[in-house]
Amino acid sequence: MRKYIEFARVQMQVHAAYSAWFWANTFSVLLRMLVIYFFWKAVYSSRTEIEGMPFDSMITYIIIAMFLQMFVSGVGQELAHTIKDGNVAIELMRPYHLITRLIAMDMGDKIIHFIRGALPLGILAFVFMDIALPTTWQGGLLFLLSALMGIWIGTFFDLLIAILAFWTINLWGLEVMKEAVISFFSGALVPLILFPEWFQTVSLFLPFQAMVYVPVAIYTGILTGTEAWLALGSQIFWAVLLFVLLRILWSIAIKKVTIFGG
Amino acid sequence: MLTRYMKLYYLFCKQNLKVMMEYRMDFLLGVLSVMLQQFAGIFFVKIVFDHIHQLNGWTFYEILFIYGIAATGRSIHHIFFDNLWTLGWQYIRPGKFDRLLIRPINPLFHFIADRLQQDGFGQLFIGIIVISTAMPHLDVSWGVLEFFILVIMIIASGFIFVAINLFFATLSFWMVDSLPIVWTIFNLSDFARYPLTIYHKGIRHLLTWIIPYGFTAFYPAAYFIEGSGFEKLALLTPIVAIVTCVVAYWFWNRGLRAFTSTGS
Repeated sequence: MRKYIEFARVQMQVHAAYSAWFWANTFSVLLRMLVIYFFWKAVYSSRTEIEGMPFDSMITYIIIAMFLQMFVSGVGQELAHTIKDGNVAIELMRPYHLITRLIAMDMGDKIIHFIRGALPLGILAFVFMDIALPTTWQGGLLFLLSALMGIWIGTFFDLLIAILAFWTINLWGLEVMKEAVISFFSGALVPLILFPEWFQTVSLFLPFQAMVYVPVAIYTGILTGTEAWLALGSQIFWAVLLFVLLRILWSIAIKKVTIFGG
Repeated sequence: MLTRYMKLYYLFCKQNLKVMMEYRMDFLLGVLSVMLQQFAGIFFVKIVFDHIHQLNGWTFYEILFIYGIAATGRSIHHIFFDNLWTLGWQYIRPGKFDRLLIRPINPLFHFIADRLQQDGFGQLFIGIIVISTAMPHLDVSWGVLEFFILVIMIIASGFIFVAINLFFATLSFWMVDSLPIVWTIFNLSDFARYPLTIYHKGIRHLLTWIIPYGFTAFYPAAYFIEGSGFEKLALLTPIVAIVTCVVAYWFWNRGLRAFTSTGS
């Protein structure tokens, strides 16, 4: 356990060092917030509510979802690189579990991103845009729990895709496709309640809505009471399922390495 | 001289295509992914318009038209000029750029011809579909002249994308890798997917006169939208394209000189 905490800590220091990318990221998020804000302002220019959501709860949903989406991808790229350049063979000999190490590093990453990026920008959004706090304090607490689950589900899914690098030559295409699918089905762009009926039904059976929609819907009060708890239960289900799948696929993939390695 | 360069570009392209065909799966996956990504953006607009009739006075098909021009213009940049992104980390940092300088051809030409980005074809495809979906719903009688203007506008849009990226990529000659800056500026083009009239005045001026992404989608589209109020400004699009390209190329040459004098 101690060594994994150390990995997370080192990763945090690495990130604090790359400041050009940090500023680029921060500025880009700020721009995206502006585009979103003006877009929705225009949408609401001729009406007061859509599907029962007034402007401020819509903008709250969209901005919180945008922030959360930044945390639901993981270190898949890192894993894919390790696989592609063959370093995975060496990594496997080291005295740690590579997947666990990557998850630890990812946690370090995300903590530093939260503190340096999301938190200040979030405060800015609260001050200058019409973002509301959670409707109840229980809702707020449940949101935190649900957001953590969503982030885990996203991380596991990301690693799961990355393992496919053992079989495909290039992962870039898959990564783009994954991003597109996630922003589609996870409710990162618009609350799923705005989608056509059939689309909502399909997304109920996919893990993506558990990444963004569920936590943010709890935050904004779209999901409350029993519904919220049920949604949290489904998140736990997905997290466990994806984690097990990850382990299985990983052990199959590793066998391939040992065969290649002779 | 022009024929020589065209012949050279053809040869470069042939090599690039061979590589693509070698990894056919990769090629298909790349094209498909970019199409899906573009489609997500359109689907988002569709979902929103299922609940409203117009966005600040703009109809669904008008928004679609703007989006389509942005996507098609960007695909020109994506297919033929994608190498601009890699100047710092793949050429200057590993010392690969010096190689281009000793060849008897224009280094910018060589650098750009080095790669053809297959994924851009997905974007081109979606862009054309979106434009042709929106076209019949606009109040325009499409004749040869209108088509001609549309094509000019799209090509101009593509070259404005190229010029802006070239300008900021050139900073790499002084700072080794300007990718974070290029990326940040490129993100500004997100604004261009929607009518500029929905934004604050400051943003509108920035995207019209300073970093002219407005001319990559909104203004050219507004030329065809009756009563948009920007028909005249739209005619500036090709001029903006030429001016930005000249400025970017001039800046590139300055960067090149700065680079050769420190690199030796």
